[in-house]
Amino acid sequence: MSFNSLPFLLFFVVVFTLYWFPLREKTKAQNILILLASWFFYGYASLKMLPLLIGATALFYGIGLALKHCKSEKGASWISALGVVLGVGLLLYFKYFNFFIESFSSLFGALGLQTNWHTFQIILPLGLSFITFKLISYVVEIRRGKLEPETDFIAFAAYVAFFPCLLSGPIDRPQFLGQLHKTRSFDYDTAAEGIRQFLWGLAKKVLIADRCSLVIDPVWENISGASGSMLLTAALLFSFQMYTDFSGYSDMAIGTGKLLGFRVARNFNYPFFATNVAEYWRRWHMSLTGWLTDYVFMPLNVRFRDWGQFGMILAIVINMVLVGLWHGANWTFGVFGLYHGLLFVPLILSGAFAKKHKLKPGWLGLPKLSDFGGMVLTFLLVTVGLIIFKADSIAQAWQYLAGMAHLETLKGFYLFFLHPDFRTKTVLIIALMILEWRNRTVEFPLVPLKCYHWAVRYAIYLVLVCLLIMLWGKNLTFLYIEF
Amino acid sequence: MQKEDLLLKVQDIFRDVLDDEEIVLSETSTAEDVEGWDSLTHIQLIVAIEKKFKIKFTSKEILSWKNVGELIDCLASKLA
Repeated sequence: MSFNSLPFLLFFVVVFTLYWFPLREKTKAQNILILLASWFFYGYASLKMLPLLIGATALFYGIGLALKHCKSEKGASWISALGVVLGVGLLLYFKYFNFFIESFSSLFGALGLQTNWHTFQIILPLGLSFITFKLISYVVEIRRGKLEPETDFIAFAAYVAFFPCLLSGPIDRPQFLGQLHKTRSFDYDTAAEGIRQFLWGLAKKVLIADRCSLVIDPVWENISGASGSMLLTAALLFSFQMYTDFSGYSDMAIGTGKLLGFRVARNFNYPFFATNVAEYWRRWHMSLTGWLTDYVFMPLNVRFRDWGQFGMILAIVINMVLVGLWHGANWTFGVFGLYHGLLFVPLILSGAFAKKHKLKPGWLGLPKLSDFGGMVLTFLLVTVGLIIFKADSIAQAWQYLAGMAHLETLKGFYLFFLHPDFRTKTVLIIALMILEWRNRTVEFPLVPLKCYHWAVRYAIYLVLVCLLIMLWGKNLTFLYIEF
Repeated sequence: MQKEDLLLKVQDIFRDVLDDEEIVLSETSTAEDVEGWDSLTHIQLIVAIEKKFKIKFTSKEILSWKNVGELIDCLASKLA
């Protein structure tokens, strides 16, 4: 039940109506509704895996209670370690077990040793990477003394399974539980903002992401037959597709949350305006990078703190490899993470890593030339990384990059900007970038609409809806669903 | 050393590391209240405090502080 589908619309209308009418201001009943709706939402997508979600929820709820009642420091330490091991173990088993078997088999094979290990038929439960991260952070936050164990099972299970964020995030921290205990009154402004954000996310998905895939997919299916310029065009478009698809999804999730009166974690902050790679990662998939910063990078950085810059480089490279591998069991993701980790090295050595760069507009409100240069360079570096990310194997990524490495490739810029077949996409992408630049200080570009005269506001909605109807293509699933 | 004195000394370290003379710390200050104090500069602040007071925090201590007050309490217990 994808956000951009009719079943979701019908499902949400029912939930919204029950939530704000018969159950209005009845917090417990609303939480029960959220929980049942979330489990239904998950079961609709993957009924077989619903018991796993419920079981994991119950188990971690129990671990929280055990921590609450444990009086000894050593006991609490063991219980929280068990929680983390179980969370990581779930992820390792479902996501990486076959990958380890295959990798060790080929390693032994390369050393001339025969193995008869078999891979297993393991189906990756939907949203597992997001769910386990929520569960692990719950245990770690209690252990760090920053959270009280939850005693209300309904609230805890509703946090874990909160349907807007269940399948592809954003990854909310357990502090979200506080919102589940508060009385939620219907606030027209928040709900209207939720609809605007949902509409904005849908527009990015339908108008840009889905249309880009029409160009990108055929190129990737036949890399050897594609010209260098076509490879470059598809690579540039893929960066925009990835961004509009995933940030579009996140906007729809956050918008849905707002319609139910919740503040969901922000996931994107205009990443293509980053002037270096460190800044880019502070703006891209923020709920994942924030999670890994708190639970992986910080502990490593604390441990390596006496090693100076080398310690920080080591911590960031390990962190970025994990960011890569989190996406799936394939060496391409590991290399993608390593590539980004290495891009941090010059930034750490120069000290630019820790500095937050404030974007100040120059002539006509446009970015300053030096900032613009940094943005273009960062975008191109990110695009190279996304080629590795999208490839099925390192060999395929290499084939793609090698295919671009000649002068003819420069025609790709012509194709991208001027070719009649790409004109609509280019216009839409440039329009997106202009709108984002003008509204880069607010959460999403439609926020200022609330201050417009109602006639202008509704005219803009109408134009957006008409565009959506006119350009609605094949209803494609979201790229991040597979992670 | 009194907690107030420790707070002033830690405040000096913050001003020095974050290069901002206008930083004013209180026991309830958190990273959200101090511009430039994030996960990256946090480690530089810790290293500077450890050097200044010639003490060593444990990883668990560093990761459990919720505000400046808890940092100061931990520092005071090390110096006692």
